[in-house]
Amino acid sequence: MTVYLLAPTSLRVAPDDFPARVRARFASELRRAGRFAQLCLLGAQACLDAAGGDGALGVLWASEFGALYAARAALDEDLRRGEAAMPFTFIATQPHLAGALLAQRSHPVTRTACLYLPADAWPSLPRLAQRWLAECERVLVGCVEESGSGGVAHRSDWCLFRKKPAAGALRCERSLEAESAADATTEDWIPRVAAWHRPAPLLLRGGEDAWSFASDG
Amino acid sequence: MTGTFVRAAALASALGPDLDSAVERLAGAPVAPARNTKTGGAWPYFAIPISGGDWRERAEAIARSVAGDLRREAAIEPARWAELPCIVGSSSFSVGAWDEGGWAALEPSFEFASRLARAFGVRGAVTALSTTCTSGLSALDVALGLIAEGEFREVLVLGAEFCNRLTVAGFAGLELLSATAARPCDRERDGLVLGEALAAVLVSAAPSPWRIAALATGMDAASVTGPAADGAAIASAMRAAMGGARWESAAVDLIKLQSGGGRLADSAEANAVRELFAPVPGAVSLKGALGHTLGASGPAELALLLASLARGRVPATWGFAERDGELGLAPSGGDAQGVRRVLFNLSGFGGSVMSLALERAL
Repeated sequence: MTVYLLAPTSLRVAPDDFPARVRARFASELRRAGRFAQLCLLGAQACLDAAGGDGALGVLWASEFGALYAARAALDEDLRRGEAAMPFTFIATQPHLAGALLAQRSHPVTRTACLYLPADAWPSLPRLAQRWLAECERVLVGCVEESGSGGVAHRSDWCLFRKKPAAGALRCERSLEAESAADATTEDWIPRVAAWHRPAPLLLRGGEDAWSFASDG
Repeated sequence: MTGTFVRAAALASALGPDLDSAVERLAGAPVAPARNTKTGGAWPYFAIPISGGDWRERAEAIARSVAGDLRREAAIEPARWAELPCIVGSSSFSVGAWDEGGWAALEPSFEFASRLARAFGVRGAVTALSTTCTSGLSALDVALGLIAEGEFREVLVLGAEFCNRLTVAGFAGLELLSATAARPCDRERDGLVLGEALAAVLVSAAPSPWRIAALATGMDAASVTGPAADGAAIASAMRAAMGGARWESAAVDLIKLQSGGGRLADSAEANAVRELFAPVPGAVSLKGALGHTLGASGPAELALLLASLARGRVPATWGFAERDGELGLAPSGGDAQGVRRVLFNLSGFGGSVMSLALERAL
């Protein structure tokens, strides 16, 4: 099944700049959402702004560490002092919060999931998006990683899959040419798709699965 | 009959280290949850009665025990078993390891999911997934897709939630916990009691007694920590599940409720049920006996319910004593003869709502 990819968006934010970026985009709207959920939303909203469109939306994102740093903060700041963990640092809510926050921003979200994936398992994302497109008009797919140290940027990369063609969209298909595909990772596959501007298809592989991304025109 | 079937299930929970002991205990008198020092000691908690080793060693021992039970029931040849893909749903993964071992013990979620898969003796691809309290059913949803597309004949689904202080502290911070007991649908209900469980469900394209006729998902964005009072999103998911299964509402014999004893959440689900059903069919909640096992609750409650039905019983709803006139629901146990279609509800933080349609196939 062919699906179509729009608005690959690669966001890198230095940890020191992050609070100001969130305030600039969302004012005080997300002040209680927690850093991981804020990071998801910053990239997801940028992608949706670029892609446009409407219709039922699935939201699917992957992370290696998820809200692990937020959980550590909660454990350090709250539990060590014997205080109750607050909802926005509570590990059970935070990774999943981004989908609900998008729905609260009037996006018609119908389903969401946060996956924890090894670096080469990124093809799980377009495959699951393909399945979800049987029920949703669009599926927003992201790879989000919070920085664990000051010298490394936060990452929030997103793209939008649709089942119908659209202006500027890339055709995406599973490829049988895994051997000739370039290795990609959860961290770099969306930035590589975003940077691809040649007429020939981009073939990327993760594990034993390969995907082809080609201009639709 | 084609589709996806529940081939085998296994469970370790507060009711017992295995499914047989859990079903037997569930048929007896209710047992109140104890305060648990491993989760801070301030709140009642449904703990798995397996001890020994540190947090991680205990989790692995529980996983090996559940794996043994599942393998016996599934009766799959070893080579096929070893190749099974494994989808793990949890809301907290290994965060409880921090309680004893600090930072060094806190591993990324995927690594902990892989650890569980190894304890089950499977080497296929592992996927770890979190959609808060619906994580286990979301894992099942992924498995259904893999089978429907013909990628696999069988998929192992795990719902895992092990004791930890952070989760209990989070629910306490939200003032969602009862200080005494979970009383689903009861007039005196005053909150949830949390619990731990490890449940394994092997789903298969090969016919088995229960077919998964449909699984519907929805989003209730009214609040990130609770449903809209009208239960509209819950009703919508239930309606979608019945539509996917091609059932009329009158065809439903039993509803497995999400209900865990929260005032607002139980009320919202009751509103949804009353909107779709008149009269309301039989209903059951398992959270008074298992506790709310969060990301494990889908597979855990599925395993326990199907095992009870296989033994001819709709389980009693522990903690329910007096009908709340506003809810209009009176869950009750009894003879399972005639129960052929079950609607199975689950919902969680972040607005995740799911409804599973199960029908007897053999």
